Amino acid sequence: MLAIDFGPAGSVVVVGRLDAAQSPVAQAFLDRVEGTVTLDCSALEYISSAGLGVLLKTQKRLLASGGKLRLTGVNRHLQDVFGYSGFDQLFEIEPAR
Amino acid sequence: MTESRAFERSFDSLAGIVAFTAEFFARAGIDASLRPVVDLALEELFTNMVKYSRASGADVDIALTAIRQGVEVTLTDHDVAAFDVTRAPDVDVTLPIEQRRPGGLGLHLVRRMLDAIEYDYAEEGRRSRITFRKTLAERPASGATATTGGEGAGD
Repeated sequence: MLAIDFGPAGSVVVVGRLDAAQSPVAQAFLDRVEGTVTLDCSALEYISSAGLGVLLKTQKRLLASGGKLRLTGVNRHLQDVFGYSGFDQLFEIEPAR
Repeated sequence: MTESRAFERSFDSLAGIVAFTAEFFARAGIDASLRPVVDLALEELFTNMVKYSRASGADVDIALTAIRQGVEVTLTDHDVAAFDVTRAPDVDVTLPIEQRRPGGLGLHLVRRMLDAIEYDYAEEGRRSRITFRKTLAERPASGATATTGGEGAGD
């Protein structure tokens, strides 16, 4: 399951599993955000390539208009996936504490 | 200890696959820290079967076996053309973002995050079979081994 919604100070909070079944929900939400957006991943347990596609599409769109997507609270699994996919070079990433 | 289950060829099966894996890990006493990578590999390989073999109406069989320090997983797909996932082209992850495309990342990740992955195809029944292993053992510095053939796959 996945939940995605606005959090404090305009951040976006994503909770659960960003997999192939849930990625359309996340994409529909992120298609509506503008500017520089912090995506709070501290309760995001899991991501697959379908979720990476959502983040990549959103980052490209935001960068084109001078914004960007920042990822915070990134757990070890997500860090591994971002590292192996080169996404650690495409996003500003703040690991989970 | 081995358990197997058949899953309908649909993205809607993903939740059931995750639940099956979680239950098996608990019953077999497999370290839960391996689950994200096993879930990732199962999702990427299963969704590949869903996306690229739509003509087949057969279910996909998934078998989980407890092995020393980890798990071996076999996905068997019936009535499909051969597609050797171990030979899929790599993704250039060093490209600037303007040139990055999401396609191909799934198999790219799977090949790097598993201990081993093997592919086997049988003309009889047009059967594709992928076997992978994930254990707590340190991965070699050169990355996951990717071999083809039936070694360790078992019938």
